[in-house]
Order: sequence, then structure tokens, then C-alpha cells
Amino acid sequence: MSASVLHSEVGVSDEKQAAAKSAGRRFGALVVRLGAIAAFAAIMAYFVIFAPGFTSTFNLINVVEQSAILGVLAYGMTSVIIGGGSDVTEGGIDLSIAANMGLCAAVYATLLSMGYGDFLSVLAAIAVGIAVGALNALAVVGLGILPLLATLAVLNVAAGMELTLTQNTVVGASSPLLGVLVSGSFLGISALAWALIVFSAIMIVIVHGTSFGLRLYAAGGHPEAARAAGISVPFYVSFTYVLSGFCAAVASILTVSRLSASTPGSGELLLSVLAAALLGTVFSRRFVPTMGGTLLSVLFIGLLANGFQLLNVSSYWVNGVQGALILLVVAITSFARGSEGSR
Amino acid sequence: MSVSANDNAAKVGLRSFLAKYSVVIAFAAIVIFFAIASPTFLTPANLFNVLVNNVVMLAIVALGLTIVISSGGIDLSVGVSVDMASMIFVMLLAAGYSGVVGVAGGLGAALIVGVLNAILITRLNISPFLATLGVLFIGQSTQQLATSGGQPIYLTSGYAADQFNAIARTALFGAPTPVIVLIVLVVAVHVLLHRSVFGRYVQAMGAQPGVAWYSGIRVPRELSMVHVLCALLAGVTGILLSATVKSYVPLSGNAFLLDAIGATFIGTTLSRERKPSVIGTLLGVLLLAIVKNGLLLVGWNFYWQQVGIGVLVFLVLAASFGLRRAAH
Repeated sequence: MSASVLHSEVGVSDEKQAAAKSAGRRFGALVVRLGAIAAFAAIMAYFVIFAPGFTSTFNLINVVEQSAILGVLAYGMTSVIIGGGSDVTEGGIDLSIAANMGLCAAVYATLLSMGYGDFLSVLAAIAVGIAVGALNALAVVGLGILPLLATLAVLNVAAGMELTLTQNTVVGASSPLLGVLVSGSFLGISALAWALIVFSAIMIVIVHGTSFGLRLYAAGGHPEAARAAGISVPFYVSFTYVLSGFCAAVASILTVSRLSASTPGSGELLLSVLAAALLGTVFSRRFVPTMGGTLLSVLFIGLLANGFQLLNVSSYWVNGVQGALILLVVAITSFARGSEGSR
Repeated sequence: MSVSANDNAAKVGLRSFLAKYSVVIAFAAIVIFFAIASPTFLTPANLFNVLVNNVVMLAIVALGLTIVISSGGIDLSVGVSVDMASMIFVMLLAAGYSGVVGVAGGLGAALIVGVLNAILITRLNISPFLATLGVLFIGQSTQQLATSGGQPIYLTSGYAADQFNAIARTALFGAPTPVIVLIVLVVAVHVLLHRSVFGRYVQAMGAQPGVAWYSGIRVPRELSMVHVLCALLAGVTGILLSATVKSYVPLSGNAFLLDAIGATFIGTTLSRERKPSVIGTLLGVLLLAIVKNGLLLVGWNFYWQQVGIGVLVFLVLAASFGLRRAAH
């Protein structure tokens, strides 16, 4: 992608120089990827040595559990960025995903508390999540509204509906399904951790193992070329927003199980979801969003918070260090990529 | 034949007219609706209240974002600039310093945020979205650490505090002081963005960054200026906010972010190329403020207001983008 951008922006470029540049960039990219992984490893090594109990199986499963909600949401966001292109103001983005999760959680918990069974309640939550996603798709694909703007408006609608439904209170919930998610385990791994593992496997296979995923990348990477190749770009872009809504619904069931309730304030997760999805690009060879990269960055953020907790560092530091790390990683990345890819 | 062609042309013309002015039309319709629905809506007291409490602070933040978005970037850390200015301003006044020192300190804090953004974006080549997202996280931690987890700081006494509160609440030349500040800033940013060389550079960077660079525009310098200006404007809001409520509440500035982005982009529907403009941004801010106030007066509860605003913004955008698409 960087090479094509370079050519289209510069127009004419000395081929020899371009070749040298691209070789240099490939080397730089390698250094960055190794550097990012080395930084990752160094921080983990520090925690392993100095944080008591960091490597215990119990603790690591705990981290995976804590990362499940962020992970599922980040997959939704990643798919939208893949399908819509990674330009942040014009490309794909779903600002409504966290508010959508809050709405789905409220629907799920409210229906359970009204005595409807798990089946109907889960179905309703998923229907709401998909409906919000479809509204985003309609706005972005059908009406041509900028994704940033369309999903911002939908964010307000979803957050407002959650507030009207719950009157800004905690809605307690319990059900057989939630019981399984809270206390069930298989092969010594808890149900919530399994949820992340299974969901990750499905997403990685769909996006990186099928021709469907390949066409999705084509739609986001170069829409004109994709259209010329016979790919229905609007379908793929719409699909990512609906998928994002579905992810929000799945995450809502996980969050209700973790808190035994739906609670206000889920919108605050939005920035972490964005950070996870964008940070994940560093772990890919060509700096594109990938599901594996997103998983790594979600686990990284989870391990960071966990390590700080074990080291007894105030939780007030976690956001700041997370922010600084994002900047560090991205700065090294853009340094190696050269200036042309940074905008 | 020619009649139907004329007819078509007229239809297309009407559509693009509606698309261009959908915000203005929506704005007028909403004002008329609320004027009929609520007897208190059009009273001077209510309009004054809307202007001072809902418009001024959001508008100043949105002005800063208008500059940044014109340059093709984004600033997610405006809330941090608001908060840092507010925090330092209140801390200095609480420690007994004079108002001048307080204002200088507050603006200085916002300046630091702006310079940090500028360095990250122009020197380290980080995309504006990620750079300011990182700064947002760091700013949140900084505030939590400085206030032991988010304790508000109240200005209970002190000459300077009372004086500032009085200034924020009294009128100058018949208009409340914050409104005067807003008018001055609106004129200044309008001239800067639409009538100055700097403004032309900013627009050029937003339209074609590569071409701007090859045309000899010193992109890093101008971009730095853009981000510093945005942070300073947000800092002004922070100081006005603390002066009005006589306190600093940590992490409260983030509430401006999404509304300011929304207002700026609603404003872009005014131009064919969807460029941000000062007038458009002001219209966007007024639209959001009027709807919030109107729904309150009509008796909708706070929760439904958010749904109402979301639906309304969605409809305005749908009209503008959808009609324009149909016109082409």
C-alpha cells in the first residue's frame, strides 16, 4: 500500500531511488516489528521477574478473562477499519460500538429481570446489536455519510436509549447462561476465557483464512480496484458495520456476566477499543489492521494493567503508560515507514 | 423534450440547494417548532441562558477543532487541554495567586498540550488521530495523579476567584463577558482561517498534503501552529468553565469532544467540498445547543434528549449527504 501511495502522490519518481527506498523501508519495517515485539517482551520480562504471581496460570487466565470484552469489541472495530480503509477521518470507524454494547447489555438484563428466558433475551440483545450495526451501514453505505459522523450520531441514539431503558441505574441479572459464563470451566480454563479464545479463532479464520476475508481487505485497501475486480464494495462495507454490531451484542452478554448486571458508563470503553484496534496494526507485516494483531494488543493492554496491579502501582498510571506506549510504538513505526505513510 | 430537461435541471438544482442548506433549514424549522411548542423558548432570558451555558464554551472548543480539521487532522485531546487549563487555573487561584497569573498558568498548561501534540505529529510523524489519542490517555492519568483519583477542587474563597466569577457572570457593553470573548475569537479565527495566508496554507494542507509540501509550504511549522492554536482555544474554554462554576472537576473536558467534532462536521455540509468553516461550525454548535434547550423546555427528560439529538443530527446528515448524492 505504501508503495502505491508513494507513486500516486509523487506522480513521477526515479525508479532506482524508489527501489532503494523500498528496500530500506522493508528493512526498517522489519526493525520496527522486531522492536515492537522486543518492547513487548521486555515489559513482560520485567513483570515476570518483579511482579509476584504474574506467571501463575490462575493469573494469566484471569488476564484473558479480563480481556474478553475489550477483545470482542476490538474485533468489531478492526473489521470496520479493514473494510472501510484505515484513513481515520474518511475511512471506516465505528464510534458507536461501545454505546451499542451498553444498549444491548441493558436490553439483555432488562428482559432477564422481566422474567424472559435466556434464549429470548440473548436473541433480543443480538437483534438490537445487529439493528444498530445495520443503521450504521445504512448511513455510511446507503446515504454516504462520513463513518466518523454517522456513527457519532448513532452513538448518541444508542447511549440515549440505554439511559431511557435503565433510567441510568444498575439492572441486576442472573440466568443459567450467565451462571455458566461466571463459574463454568473446561480443561481448567474458565468460560469467559473460552469465549475470547473461540471468538478469536472464528474471527481470524474468517478474515485471514477465507476468500471472503481477502475480498474484505480489497474493499478497504483499494475500493476502485476492488470494484473493477467485480467485488461488491458496498456489501462488504455494510457487512463490517453489521458484524461490529454483532460483536457489541456478544460483548454485552460477556459484560453482563462479569458484572452480574448491566451498568451505565460502558461508553468509556470506546477509546480503549480504538487504541487496541489501531495499536494492533504494528504487529502486522505491512502495518494493516489484522485480527491477530488486535488480539496481541488487547492481551498486551490487559497484561499491562494486570502487571501494574501486581506491582502495586496506582491504577491512575495505567492510562498514561498505555498512552505513552501507543505513542512510542507508533512513533517508531512511522519512523521506519518513512514520512509518506504517516498522514 | 427541452421542458423535461429543464425540469430535471430544476430538480437537481433544488436538491443541491436543499443539500447545501439542510443545516440552515433544519435550524430554522427547529427554532419555529420550539417557539410554538414552548412559550418560554423565545424569551430573552432563555436565549441568554442558552448562549452563556450551552453555546460559548462548546463553540470555542469547536473553533479550535475547525482549524485542525481544516488542516486535514483531528484533535482528540481537546478535553485534556480544557481540563489542564482549568486545573492549573484553579490550583493557582486556590494557592492565592492573582487572576493574571492564574490565566497565564492555565493557558500555559494548554500550550504544553498543544506543543506536545505538535511535536508528536510533525517531528515523530505520528498520525494526528493516534498522537492526540495517546495524549488523551496521558492527560487522563496526569489529572488522576494530580487530584488523587479525580477529586474536584473548589474555589471556596479568595479575592481573585470571586472577581473571576463576577466577570464571568456580568455584562460588558450589554453582553455577558464570555459572549464577548466568543465574538472576539470567532472574528479572529474567521479572519485567520478564511482571510489570511496562514489560513490558505491550512486549507491547502487539508486538501492536498503532498501538493502543499511540494508547493513549498512549511507543513511542519504550519501544522504545529494549528495544533497549538487548537489547544489554546480549548484552554480558554477551560478557564471560562472554572470561572463560571468556581471549581475544577477532573476529566470533565472530554464531554466537549464529541459535540465539538459533531458541530464542526455538521458545519462542513454547508460547503460543496465539505470543508469546515467558522460559520458552519457556529451553526452546528447553535443547532446542538438549541435542540438540547428546546427538548428540555418541551419537557423531555434528560435521557430522551440524547436520543433526540442523535436522531436529529442523523437526519440532518442524511438529508445533506443523501440529497447531494442524489443530485450528482
